[in-house]
Amino acid sequence: MLEGKAVIGETDMLQTMQQDALNLASKALDFFDVTEATDIARFIKKEFDRTHGPGWQCIVGTDFGSFVTHCCGCFIYFCIGSLAILLFRGSPPP
Amino acid sequence: MSEEAKKNFAGALTARPNSDEPKPAPVPAVPPKKVIIKSADMIPDMQKEAVDIAVAAFEKYNVEKDVAEQIKKEFDKRHGPTWHCIVGRNFGSYVTHETNHFVYFYLDQKAVLLFKSG
Repeated sequence: MLEGKAVIGETDMLQTMQQDALNLASKALDFFDVTEATDIARFIKKEFDRTHGPGWQCIVGTDFGSFVTHCCGCFIYFCIGSLAILLFRGSPPP
Repeated sequence: MSEEAKKNFAGALTARPNSDEPKPAPVPAVPPKKVIIKSADMIPDMQKEAVDIAVAAFEKYNVEKDVAEQIKKEFDKRHGPTWHCIVGRNFGSYVTHETNHFVYFYLDQKAVLLFKSG
């Protein structure tokens, strides 16, 4: 795997969902270059909307800070290779 | 000959006072932060508000997370929950936002993403 090992920084998410996020990020990095942050974010967000219900938000980059409000059990911030990834659901599922 | 000498002397005199009066250098004003709205789905008044709050936050805090916190909380207070804010030099995002509640702009080298969702 080109991207190396993922390191979770913060999370409020079921183990299985966490694994989904890490797997998707890894898969995204097979498709996209690390400079295509928006494409990686879209890939991860779309898949999570599909498999875990709508309302997900995804931020990908090497240099950012954030302050967000998320639903219970729907937040993860992790690093994979040189990228940091923030994934959370901002609005409750319908 | 003596008349010519007088003229030259007078000319020299008139020239010197001008060169001896240096103009006071203007005090350099602090350059305002460069603002570029990259993308917006937000009414102009709210956009300006976002920029103003961001400028104030950058003056007050150095850590991007603190800047983001300030902006998000201010918007939650003024325009109701729930807002999200990302600040940084290098990031991409893909988000779902409420209509008319999204703005993405640059303040000098820092990008600010602010949107409402939920």
